[in-house]
Amino acid sequence: MLYILLLAPIAIGICFYIFSFRRVPILVLVLQSLVFFFTVYIFWRVHGMEIPLVEAIGNWGPLSIQLYCDRIVSVFLMLTALLFLGFYSFVQGKDYFDKLFIFLFATLQSLIMLIFLSADLFNIFVAVEISTVICGILIMYKHDSRSLYDGLIYLMTNIVGMLFFLLGIGLLYRQFGTLNIYQTAALMYDAQGKDVLLPFAFIMTGVGLKCALMPVFSWLPKAHGTPGAPSIVSAVLSALYVKGGIYLFLRMRNMFAPAMEMDGFFLAMGIITGMAGWIIAVSQNDIKLILAYHTISQLGLIMIGISLHGASQWGAVYHIVNHAVFKSLLFLSAGMIVDTYHTRNIYRIRGVFRTMPVVSVATLAAILGITGAPLFNGSISKYLIQSGEINTAAEIAILLINGGTILSFVKYVHIFFGKPEAPVTSTVPTVQKAVVISLGVLCLVGGIGGTAFIRSLFGYTASISPLSYIEKSLIWVGSLLLGWLLYTRVLSKWKRLHQGFAIELTFNQICACITGLFAVILAYGWILTG
Amino acid sequence: MEIFDRILSGDVIAIALFMIGLYGLIARRNIVKTIICIGVMEMGIILFFLTIHARADANPPIGDQMAQAADPIPQALMITAIVIGVAVTAVALVMFIELYHKYGTTNWKKARQMRREEN
Repeated sequence: MLYILLLAPIAIGICFYIFSFRRVPILVLVLQSLVFFFTVYIFWRVHGMEIPLVEAIGNWGPLSIQLYCDRIVSVFLMLTALLFLGFYSFVQGKDYFDKLFIFLFATLQSLIMLIFLSADLFNIFVAVEISTVICGILIMYKHDSRSLYDGLIYLMTNIVGMLFFLLGIGLLYRQFGTLNIYQTAALMYDAQGKDVLLPFAFIMTGVGLKCALMPVFSWLPKAHGTPGAPSIVSAVLSALYVKGGIYLFLRMRNMFAPAMEMDGFFLAMGIITGMAGWIIAVSQNDIKLILAYHTISQLGLIMIGISLHGASQWGAVYHIVNHAVFKSLLFLSAGMIVDTYHTRNIYRIRGVFRTMPVVSVATLAAILGITGAPLFNGSISKYLIQSGEINTAAEIAILLINGGTILSFVKYVHIFFGKPEAPVTSTVPTVQKAVVISLGVLCLVGGIGGTAFIRSLFGYTASISPLSYIEKSLIWVGSLLLGWLLYTRVLSKWKRLHQGFAIELTFNQICACITGLFAVILAYGWILTG
Repeated sequence: MEIFDRILSGDVIAIALFMIGLYGLIARRNIVKTIICIGVMEMGIILFFLTIHARADANPPIGDQMAQAADPIPQALMITAIVIGVAVTAVALVMFIELYHKYGTTNWKKARQMRREEN
């Protein structure tokens, strides 16, 4: 039954590519709604059974490829289908929305679902590799030469990362004789840390690259923030596609955990990534690049949550869902703002609130969500990430990361005020407004009904005490005041900041960073296992 | 001679090929050579998979003939990996040709320079 979910989007894409229909936009929406309802049905089935839904493709016994769907996966599937429905309604009437685009987009959707669903390591490799190629093509869809360079860097970097992953799979298969993640995890209990050190280092290097860990992050802003790419592609990449990587990291961590665990190392890496993300974001002047670097910062936060235990992991999983919602909203609204103002320079966009009031309100909801404002969805997940088995250093680091996020969004918020340099007229279609508004409402609902959501979606009862929630809210207000003062009094007076700092590694340097990450993981693991 | 057999076994050569490819990625600025290096790394991985559980005294996993056989799963995987590798190389080359038409260089560093000037 699960394989229908994987085949349906591809079948839809192929049909639209081969046959020419008259009412393509409506048909796409109807079919995509059917896919969404199917994911809701799967969620309901998994919810009712209380055990994961496991399906083997083909009659090959233990050798067959398995699809594995537990509660978390079913929620991610629902999220993917829902956001793609939103994207399809958003993209209506754009000039690049042709049949080839539909085909690539639909295939990407089913590949993202396959990354979430598959329990077979080699199958995951195939899905990630093909989706990398599709993303590369989508990034350069408008034939902009800057996007060509960015797309090439993105493609090559990710292929190198996946080669590390593939060699790791080979080493694991030689040792355990199976490619199934859950069978391998069961066999890990008998293994020594030393035996699985080499596959661990290879696989974690590949997965860490997909999660944009600190030294190997430079492909992400290129892919997500490139000027020529349609804003909808940036939204898909930043909201959903990187979540495949971070969920893969969670599963790989749990798979290796009985024999080999490096949570301390990845906690430190998450903190470094989270800090570096917002520091670089503050120093950019390109509106899309700011959002792309924010994705890195939030990925670091999710990685912190995964590396801590208990409630933090659930906070991280909920933050994956939340981040998907507000980051897609931010990228879509940024695309509209760029289309209206014909510039991506954040210092030259002013007065958005007057020209596009509806979009501004929705964007504000997303900004409140991502900074963890009280009553919005980010506050619940960030609260949970902080409430696990946590030490003071990690708590301070999380507060600093959140403060930095607030600081850089203080810079972002300035586009709403003031007067535009030249008179602009906004022509945003109603359907696009509806999409961003409904995403904004989701940000608010995910905050107000946060604990109820987590209970009904994941079956986990999160305990949020009102007193410490109020304390966290006060900390948020304090950080906001501090960030506002710091930005308006100090940073905005710094002229060099207005030009933006370009941090770009060449491809050779990126490869050296990947090798360095591999060497560090290997060396640290060597010390750890003795 | 035994020591030679140990050193020249498939997995050692496979890892060596992988590392040679990686060295090329770090040390060579030419985009075409980068694509070739990715191909070399892929060859290393394919060789590694094919040597998995390939012993001289192995029995076939199905059937009752006592002929020599190797583990068939890595071979099946590698057919897929080769196909993907060809597709990826083709896409990378097409992207490179397009980039060459626009920037007129095969050098990563010069391409970055031109990309920066375009901003």
